[in-house]
Amino acid sequence: MGQSPRPAAGRRRGRPSAGAGLRSFGSASPPLIRSRSRCAWALLALLAPIGRAHAQAPEASREARLTFNGEAFASVASDDPGFFNYANYERSTLSIARLNLDVSLRLGPRAAFLAEARGDNGDGISISALYLRVRVLEKTPLDLQVGRIPPVFGAFGRRTYGADNPLIGVPLGYQYLTIIRPDALPASADDLLLARGGGWLVSYPLGSQADSHGLPLVAGDRWDTGIQMHLGGPKASLALALTQGTLSNPLVRDDNGGKQLVGRAETRPSAAWIIGFSAARGEFLSRSAKAALPPGTRGGPFTQSALGIDAEYSRGYWVLRAEGIMSEWRLPMIAGPFVAGPLRAYAGCLEGRYKIRPGLYAAARVDRLGFSSITGTLFGGQPTSWDAPVTRVEVGGGYFLRRDILLKAVYQHNWRDTTFSPSLGIVSAQALWWF
Amino acid sequence: VVLVGRRAGLLLAVLLLAKPTAPFPIQESPPSVPTAVLRGRVDFRREPRPPTRRAGISDLGMPAPRDVPDQRQAIVYLETAPRAAFEEREGARVTLDQKNENFAPHVLAITTGTVVDFRNDDRTYHNVFSLSKTKPFDLGRYAAGETKSVRFDRPGVVRVFCEIHSHMSAFIVVFAHRYFALTNAEGEYRIEGIPPGAYTVSVWHSVLATESKPIRIGDGGGEVEVDFSLS
Repeated sequence: MGQSPRPAAGRRRGRPSAGAGLRSFGSASPPLIRSRSRCAWALLALLAPIGRAHAQAPEASREARLTFNGEAFASVASDDPGFFNYANYERSTLSIARLNLDVSLRLGPRAAFLAEARGDNGDGISISALYLRVRVLEKTPLDLQVGRIPPVFGAFGRRTYGADNPLIGVPLGYQYLTIIRPDALPASADDLLLARGGGWLVSYPLGSQADSHGLPLVAGDRWDTGIQMHLGGPKASLALALTQGTLSNPLVRDDNGGKQLVGRAETRPSAAWIIGFSAARGEFLSRSAKAALPPGTRGGPFTQSALGIDAEYSRGYWVLRAEGIMSEWRLPMIAGPFVAGPLRAYAGCLEGRYKIRPGLYAAARVDRLGFSSITGTLFGGQPTSWDAPVTRVEVGGGYFLRRDILLKAVYQHNWRDTTFSPSLGIVSAQALWWF
Repeated sequence: VVLVGRRAGLLLAVLLLAKPTAPFPIQESPPSVPTAVLRGRVDFRREPRPPTRRAGISDLGMPAPRDVPDQRQAIVYLETAPRAAFEEREGARVTLDQKNENFAPHVLAITTGTVVDFRNDDRTYHNVFSLSKTKPFDLGRYAAGETKSVRFDRPGVVRVFCEIHSHMSAFIVVFAHRYFALTNAEGEYRIEGIPPGAYTVSVWHSVLATESKPIRIGDGGGEVEVDFSLS
């Protein structure tokens, strides 16, 4: 809050490249952040006149130039031996302490620089968002965002913050680790069936030999890097983005030379309804994994494609949300039994929240994650889903001690079509402060 | 800022709930007794800043323009009042508008028993609520053109928010008597009809520290001028 001269922001900008305990989120590397940061500031310099030309607008002059806000929360949960809620092999989304600090530097009514620093479980700070936002034309609602940008696809990806999530868990489509890896490949259908239901730690014969976790359909806690355009007003809008990674594997540095195109159309036929349609397609397989393929099988394209639909209805004390995602990965197979066609996954969830009285609400979410079938020599040679389908029900509620302090408690039950941990109930609690 | 406002609110609530005879007893005045006008001006040694909008880090574009609330309004009030003033129940009805993601007015001063209509004049949903001890309420989400109402029966400070737009906030200050006034755009106020007696006059502001001054209204009534300077 309050005024701050640009040099201060410049010092803050310099921190990621200083290597003083900062690291980019996910697979990014500090030098890349540095080069992106330089690009962003070069753009800022070019766009400075946009800010100056309108700096005296009465509306803008009363808005703060520099704002800080964020949230801090701590969640605890009973054991999750089935890794149902893990975002990687080490970190459960139900048992985590997180600090998000958001910064917005307004460069005038038509440009702003935004960044978010994130710390999980005290393991250093990462830059989870870093981008420039520009209103291209003064009277047309056309905006560009460049850098590490918010996700265009779907609805939940932009409300993963604790204060926006009425429960503690994350929908399966945005969190549950499938057995797909971008850097390691199954040679045959049997390799997939062997790994089935164990996405938290997967290994394959091709590509990286290290054990590592698989990927969700859409990575809910990592943002991609690229350029995004948003056009529209309160009734309808369209967003398109060109990014380095894919939905399941957002990146700062492109690892395969291919880009992802992702789009979303949203309509608000009335104040009560928000309906969105999303689509994405991008090169998925990493360069190193592709290099491990025998000659003649590297052709590709090895992509992730996805379609999404989401809807929100709210009225009075009710908010109801539904979201569906269909994702498919095209992977090479070099040995039999072969997989015919892409590997598909389907995620759907239905969420509701009801306010019981001021400061107290109840919420529930029903989730389902399913997979297409493949046929190998395992499972009696019968068609079997390539990963184990999961069903989840989460019920709970929240109580606001103050407007900015929220306590949540949930019970979550998971069912999975495997012999290892086929059914598991978990209780979790969270204390959250936003500022 | 929140702490200052909260502390001031608690202080005000305590003072307003106090019996009219303490700490400065005021005698009931017959209608024929001349009354006084208390007037003056509230200045600011530092400019109160409006509540900031959150960074909107996950938004896909520029946020919609909004009206920024005027933070310069203050309330001047008597901490004690004639007993009869506490028995008045006007049953008034006032409106707190929601327009361009802003509550207008930002500060509302009312007496107990007043009904406040929360009208949504915006194009989007709003969800007005308060978690204040004086009057907790939650009106749920409702659309443009709709109005929902709340009656305020207890004195105190009620801080009002919108659940959907976190930068929207307003203050409803509920008095148990009618001896208060909201400052105008120039910072001036005027309280009429004050019977003779000794009083404490205080000023309340949503984010700045409160101030109090003792005054005495003579038997002949007239005008008393008291200025405040808040920091």
